[in-house]
Amino acid sequence: MRTRLREILYIGIFDSLPLVRDPMMLILLSLISFLPVFFLFLFAGINAALPALVGAIILTLGFSSLAVAQSVYFYKHWFRFQDMLVASPVSPISYALGLSLSTLISSAPAVVLALAVILVSNPNPVGPVEVMLVIAASILLWLSMLFVGYALGASTKNTRRANSLPQVLGFMIGFLPPVYYPLDLLPGWLQPLAMLIPSTHAAQLAKHYFGLLTVPLSPSDIIIGWAYLIGFAIAMAFITVRKAHWVDP
Amino acid sequence: MEVVEVAGLGKTYPGGTEALRSVSFSVHRGEVFCLLGRNGAGKTTLLRILATQLRPTGGQATVFGLDVAREPKGVRSRISVLPQEARPLMMLSAYDHVRLMCMIRGMSRADAARRSQELMEQFELWDHRDKLCADLSGGLRQRVLLCMALSSNPELLFLDEPTIGLDPVGRRQVWAAVRRLTKSGVTVLLTTHYMDEAERLSDRLAIIDKGQLAFLGTVEEAKAVTGAGMRVVIEASNGNGREVLSPKSNEEILAIVQRSIREGRRVTFQPPTLEDAFIRIVGGSIENETA
Repeated sequence: MRTRLREILYIGIFDSLPLVRDPMMLILLSLISFLPVFFLFLFAGINAALPALVGAIILTLGFSSLAVAQSVYFYKHWFRFQDMLVASPVSPISYALGLSLSTLISSAPAVVLALAVILVSNPNPVGPVEVMLVIAASILLWLSMLFVGYALGASTKNTRRANSLPQVLGFMIGFLPPVYYPLDLLPGWLQPLAMLIPSTHAAQLAKHYFGLLTVPLSPSDIIIGWAYLIGFAIAMAFITVRKAHWVDP
Repeated sequence: MEVVEVAGLGKTYPGGTEALRSVSFSVHRGEVFCLLGRNGAGKTTLLRILATQLRPTGGQATVFGLDVAREPKGVRSRISVLPQEARPLMMLSAYDHVRLMCMIRGMSRADAARRSQELMEQFELWDHRDKLCADLSGGLRQRVLLCMALSSNPELLFLDEPTIGLDPVGRRQVWAAVRRLTKSGVTVLLTTHYMDEAERLSDRLAIIDKGQLAFLGTVEEAKAVTGAGMRVVIEASNGNGREVLSPKSNEEILAIVQRSIREGRRVTFQPPTLEDAFIRIVGGSIENETA
């Protein structure tokens, strides 16, 4: 068990070290998901910026986990690091968890900072339970996107797509659905479509627990939100298991 | 017990491409065994099967007596691989690569630091330890990868074209390291396109052609395949055009000489090289250059 934990830790460090050693790049990458918050604060004030900041926390984790697709693809087909590890006692689970840990290492500073800003600026009282629930919703989206990333990285055969697909998906889960902006801004016919995207549920739940929705979620909405996030994560895990191979067939 | 035993090994990829057909050979402990072959001949497929990275579809392969398909875990703790065309991470230092690989493979921080320094000094990388790999030359990057592959003190080392991109000094450092390893009992299985490398390094070699074993033996045995034991180089008197032939009999040599004298061309005799043998075995045409 201790050996496996060491493998996970050092694979995570190996993957994240280039970014950790370059704080400028780390800040720049984090800014991508926080940029809309800045503009909302500038043009619509703190009342619009706070819910958007919640969305940014969720998306920082979502974007970084989607980027695992690039690590999986390039370590397999470009750096051949995966081949070196397959021919070693390192387990595939350690490898996958190591790369997953790396996404947390690289996104944690921005998430922690944004959480602190929300807790300080939020006029609504927020307890530790609510904070934990927001983190849980974010982690569920992170996990779903991680599985999507693994499935993409393992099945992509084209270097260009390995770079572009995670970005396109990131756009689809981040900037199209109501993550930065309220759900009720969407036309009625688009709202059910938005609910098909897991980031909508994660954002709605997080905004609800921080008291930032104009109309709080009903108990049934809360149950549906959690069920959708869990179901989506399970479905993506199933696809990943089918697509990803440690030993090539 | 042989380190590697391969019996009737076959591999057909899911798309239907038949990469290996009934290949059989064995590798002895402490020897350097070279796999030669044209591009796409099946060398890397064979090496990847033995290194437990790829599933075979026929026959059997064992490493240290363990079946690579059924008992890969037992094999993996005793081997290490330098894959073909591997690259280091550009934004990570040379030292970080080697030290982290040592730690991933289970060494403590202190042991990893010690082992990294030992390897990097051996490959003259220590002075470059803090440089990002982006700032290293191709040869130095390759040495970083070699240090990573050697970090775990493997009993069997797979090197897939390990000296690509290295300068002559770098290549010799790799050869010296391989020799040092074999002296300490490590077995090395390597693929290469450099015939001089195979000639200098290999105790035995196998030539794979179109997925089949075309030759198995020593370098001298391979050279004997060329026929009369010499290569004949015929050059035009004006220096334009060069033909290299491997005659199989004394009669053929005589005929070549007579023809060359008639045509006023210069004839020289050289001992056959492994390249001549390789070309003879894989059925390609003998060198025929026109300047």
